[in-house]
Amino acid sequence: MTLRVALPTGRMLKQAEPFLRQAGYAPAEVLADTRKLTVPSQCGRVEYLLVKPVDAPLYVEQGVADCGISGKDTLMELSPDLLEPLDLGFGRCRLVVAGKPEVERKGDNVLSPVRVASKYPRVAQHYFRKKGVPATVFKLSGSVEIGAVLGLSHYIVDIVETGTTLRENGLVVIEEISVCSARLVVNRAAYYAKLAEVRGLIDSMSAVVGEGA
Amino acid sequence: MADAPQQLSFPPGTELVFGPQAARRTRIESELARVIHGWGFDDIILPGFDAPETFESLGSDAGLYRLVDREGHNLVLRADFTQIASKALAMELRRGKRQIRATYEGRVYRFQPSGHGHRVEQSQRGLEWVNAQGPVFDAACILIARECLHAVGIDNAVIVVGHAGFVNAVLGERGRTDRRLHEALDHKNPSRIAELAQRLGLDAESARLLETLPLLTGGAEVLRQAAGFKLAAPARDALADLEAIHELLAQCGVNDVLFDLGEVRQFHYYSGAMFKVYSSAVGDELGGGGRYDRLYDRFGLDVPAVGFGFNMARLTEAAPRDFGGQIQPTSIAANSAGALAQALALRAQGKPLVVGGKP
Repeated sequence: MTLRVALPTGRMLKQAEPFLRQAGYAPAEVLADTRKLTVPSQCGRVEYLLVKPVDAPLYVEQGVADCGISGKDTLMELSPDLLEPLDLGFGRCRLVVAGKPEVERKGDNVLSPVRVASKYPRVAQHYFRKKGVPATVFKLSGSVEIGAVLGLSHYIVDIVETGTTLRENGLVVIEEISVCSARLVVNRAAYYAKLAEVRGLIDSMSAVVGEGA
Repeated sequence: MADAPQQLSFPPGTELVFGPQAARRTRIESELARVIHGWGFDDIILPGFDAPETFESLGSDAGLYRLVDREGHNLVLRADFTQIASKALAMELRRGKRQIRATYEGRVYRFQPSGHGHRVEQSQRGLEWVNAQGPVFDAACILIARECLHAVGIDNAVIVVGHAGFVNAVLGERGRTDRRLHEALDHKNPSRIAELAQRLGLDAESARLLETLPLLTGGAEVLRQAAGFKLAAPARDALADLEAIHELLAQCGVNDVLFDLGEVRQFHYYSGAMFKVYSSAVGDELGGGGRYDRLYDRFGLDVPAVGFGFNMARLTEAAPRDFGGQIQPTSIAANSAGALAQALALRAQGKPLVVGGKP
């Protein structure tokens, strides 16, 4: 049985592509260049589905794809109901709370809600609730840093790779919520119904992760 | 200003089926009933709501639908068949201890977080087997479930058997109550399990076994693989249970059942072997069940019991599209002379017909 594997387009795809090649599941054409939505692997065991990063978990959860690659940050935000058997190691970044340095010095006024801007509203809400700080969370789709720079929000919750964007905008990391990387996710039904194929994929990928470590 | 158009919508999560799809579903439902009746089960019709206590052991996050009646009594919409059936059957058992075989069908209501496509209203057909001691009844449930699947034309389903006692024994006192560890096991995430096992200060052997759990899915060989670890007595008993079920099924020529020793997703009341049914055609489980030997304790009864149920919507989705094809009815124009007499004559022969409908 062919496995259908959802791959996130964009930044993560560039790292996923060589990884898949190393694992023996090379795509039949260069994924970063194609405009097709589905591409088979050279070996024919897998059909890749190219989807928006934020949608990848949904395709897998609903069983449209059997497996998928997704960033831990997206999984934390969506908390989809699926299996997460392997940390693929690439796409490493940090999910952090950031803001202007003076916000940090002032500390939190516990009586009035802080304003938070993020592409990860659920993660942000959860973080501040755990701290016991009332928060109003704004969902933004990009350029989140500007929220804190121009005073839309006191804080932002966002992923940071090198920290350059934060520094250039005069923002500092206040706390790290989690280290994130790409994960292999598997649909629950597909895991059992296509056990041998899924196991084959996990084992091959796991070997590549082991080499990199 | 004109009136606003009437709201033609139902709340999200409700179930509405009509036309050929409903006909197909009804056919599938009657096939299941036929199989389950064939194994000697009697119908039971159960209340649609009850006092909250009935559903308490579903766990705090069960998402019950609560209501208050005019006298201020708290009530809960039926959230689970096994629990409400156990109360009804306990009433029966007070009149004398005996084996009871009961089959139910209807809806349960459980809140579901939005965005995952789960229904609040779920239709189920299932069975309860009370005073069912020993693995022969666990194996029998699996055989009945298989027959149900075949009866509705599903031949690509996989039955996955786990054991509540095994996971609980392996988790131990410290691990059992840890929600994060539970979650990591549920997602079969070995790196997270390793991290949490270390944080909880579990010994090296337990940690190694916990990390291996996600891999212990497969044929009967995983039972032997697990037996290679240093295990507490309850975990050994659980493996022996599963080994016995495997033997019984193998004697019936059934060798395609999978075992999953890392299965943790279950109702709190499960105490022994449990199983789930999956098909690659549907992303979620079609049904499942298991053993709950302590469920009747709260009624002062010591009765071992097993049972299972199918989710009718998902089962229908998994069944072949052409299952339960309909016979084309004869069309009779409503305005033709003697239309009703003609209809009666056809009906007397048992033929399907439509009066006044376009063919």
